[in-house]
Amino acid sequence: MFTNRQKMSVVLVIVSLGFVGYLVFPAMDITAQEKPETFVTHSGAVVQTTGDILDPVYTIQEVEFDPQKYLREFDYGKVSYLEDGTTLREFTVIAEDDKMMEIAPGIFWNVWTFNGTVPGPTIRATEGDLVRIHFTNNGSKEHTMHFHGNHPAEMDGIFEIVGSNGGQFTYEFIAGPVGVHPYHCHVMPVEEHIGHGLYGVFIVDPKEGRQQADEMVMMLNGFDTDFDGENNLYAANTIPFYYQHHPIQINTNELIRVYVVNMLGLDPINNFHLHGTLYEYYPTGTDLIPSEFTDMTTFSQSERGILEFEYEYTGRYMFHAHLTEFSEKGWTGLFYVKDSSQLNTEIYDYGS
Amino acid sequence: MEVKRPSNVKTAISAVIPFVLLAVMIVYVFGPGSELIGYGILLPDISIEKIEFVDSEIIATVRNTGPIPVDIVMADINDRIYPAAIEPDKHLERFQSAIVRIPFEWNEGEPYAVGLTIDDGTRFEKQVDVAAPSIQPTVEMIAYFAVIGTYVGIIPVLIGLLWFPFIAKLSRNKYKFFLALTVGLLLFLGISATEEAIKISAENLSDVFNGALLVVTVAIVSFLALNYAGEKLKERAGASKLAGPIAIALMIAIGIGLHNFGEGLAIGAAIVLGEAALGAFLIVGFAIHNTTEGFAIAAPMARTKLMIGRLAAMGMIAGVPAIFGAWVGGFVYSPFAAVIFLAIGAGAIFQVIVLIMKWIQNEEGKLSNSSVLAGIAVGMIIMYVTSILV
Repeated sequence: MFTNRQKMSVVLVIVSLGFVGYLVFPAMDITAQEKPETFVTHSGAVVQTTGDILDPVYTIQEVEFDPQKYLREFDYGKVSYLEDGTTLREFTVIAEDDKMMEIAPGIFWNVWTFNGTVPGPTIRATEGDLVRIHFTNNGSKEHTMHFHGNHPAEMDGIFEIVGSNGGQFTYEFIAGPVGVHPYHCHVMPVEEHIGHGLYGVFIVDPKEGRQQADEMVMMLNGFDTDFDGENNLYAANTIPFYYQHHPIQINTNELIRVYVVNMLGLDPINNFHLHGTLYEYYPTGTDLIPSEFTDMTTFSQSERGILEFEYEYTGRYMFHAHLTEFSEKGWTGLFYVKDSSQLNTEIYDYGS
Repeated sequence: MEVKRPSNVKTAISAVIPFVLLAVMIVYVFGPGSELIGYGILLPDISIEKIEFVDSEIIATVRNTGPIPVDIVMADINDRIYPAAIEPDKHLERFQSAIVRIPFEWNEGEPYAVGLTIDDGTRFEKQVDVAAPSIQPTVEMIAYFAVIGTYVGIIPVLIGLLWFPFIAKLSRNKYKFFLALTVGLLLFLGISATEEAIKISAENLSDVFNGALLVVTVAIVSFLALNYAGEKLKERAGASKLAGPIAIALMIAIGIGLHNFGEGLAIGAAIVLGEAALGAFLIVGFAIHNTTEGFAIAAPMARTKLMIGRLAAMGMIAGVPAIFGAWVGGFVYSPFAAVIFLAIGAGAIFQVIVLIMKWIQNEEGKLSNSSVLAGIAVGMIIMYVTSILV
């Protein structure tokens, strides 16, 4: 009935139509999931989909780095005492630069780390302690540790470059002054080394101590994941939107002390705004008398301070960058304030 | 037959052997374990091809136009991250595409940028100058586009056909002039369709599609296919004396029909994209412009007996596709489809030009007749002047 040539041309036409059709209407995929899933928008609407959910807020995601743990984790070092009675605190810090970390749900990015995380460990000492840091650079590039604070020039981590693949250096200095300080790698280009995550918090407590409080650390940071000179993600403690999904649980009428350090690169300023109450603000934490009673503080690069506040009422309170661009790209979170008379009840599981 | 068969097999084998060797070489060079080509890093790439604004939602169509599979992991509007859904799923193989639904209370008339971030943290963005609700295929809208298609395509072409009696009364030389005028008109249309197709591909398609080459390839394939179809058509109707001119007129009508489909696409898309003013402008411009197309169909038939039925049918063949174009442009606009249709139209028009030139040559014996050359020039000038209106 048909010649081979006709059959061939029919096949050719069908194949090319099929190919063109696929390119024109590829979204009509018959393999789509059968049962729809739902998700909640920022404004509370519930949306149904047959596909996957792209949601940095409400999806339970196992991220390697746990901001909840980092929040209240302080490394006091291995403690021993010198002959003159001085406390010696020894720390081991290892730098690496080949790690891929899930810095936001689904986004895997090469981070450079002190002890495997961004930020590095929160190093804490009391004023006058001898701090000794055994630093090993296991990275493929040169790195150093540069602490803000008082120390001799050769302990500044600028000229004593530590070589790659096992280079070692021991930083040793007397902790001081009192306050909250950053530490970071100071190898050029510094923006690159900091941008990839080589930084952490260094707290120096006054000898007489501070008032008992629920203490936590917030490192304000961000990532320029596509290297276009603008940060794609912002956060307190690395993971965008994390504390919005996992609110920080605190109690009414209990003193809360937050050590805030801004290590955000590229953007000239960052800021911190607290809902529902105001805080006493101690710039750099060096003075024991607050400079301000406020709910809004602006931070430039490496600027930091201590916040002290209490909540009178229970409920959920936001804290976030009042630069809304930053907050809507991840630098936002919640305090979940519980009645202190009903402590240790059920664990609040928000948004899951 | 039985004697021939082994030779067929041999022919087939000899045709396949080079492919097999090529495949072996490719596997050896690029396959697992090969270290020959280990340099360079493959960068992922995605293209946001279309953005629609519906009730409380912005919908982006995204395609993986890079060399490696990607996962879409984050969506943003104006650089602010929002929860979103991706259908059918977030993993895109090469050339695969998906729909990203971002719930968002957008404001009509404002510009928006939609950004998508992939698994390595790279963000891709597409801007929309003016947000306007995307048009749903309701009965009213279908009717609306049909009416517009009628005004743009059918009525002007039919008006143009009314020149038939005028052309029929012309002297031989003047007739040649008007036939050549048709060539000029079509030449202009063919070039403009090609230009438009290349422009759309440059603005909306990823480089991976090689826009200009896609247009040229489709246009030439369309040219060859219609050439083949035209020859068959003539063979079939070979007995009839009228076949020649009518076949040419039919081919012109088909070519113009494809072209008008492209015009319908442009109008439908302009209305959908919220550029109502541009849409209105296009309607008036194309309507004036398309009257000349009726003339082009009438010209080759002018030496035959007037057959109103056939003439009207050809007018419809040329005009009705404008309605389909408006529907496609309005409801399922895809830049890829637009490029393909415009390129097919361009190929069809160039084929018709060749057909008319052959016809003139058969009648006249040569093409360098002064009235022919003048006709082509005047045709192009007329088109250029009316095209300024669009």
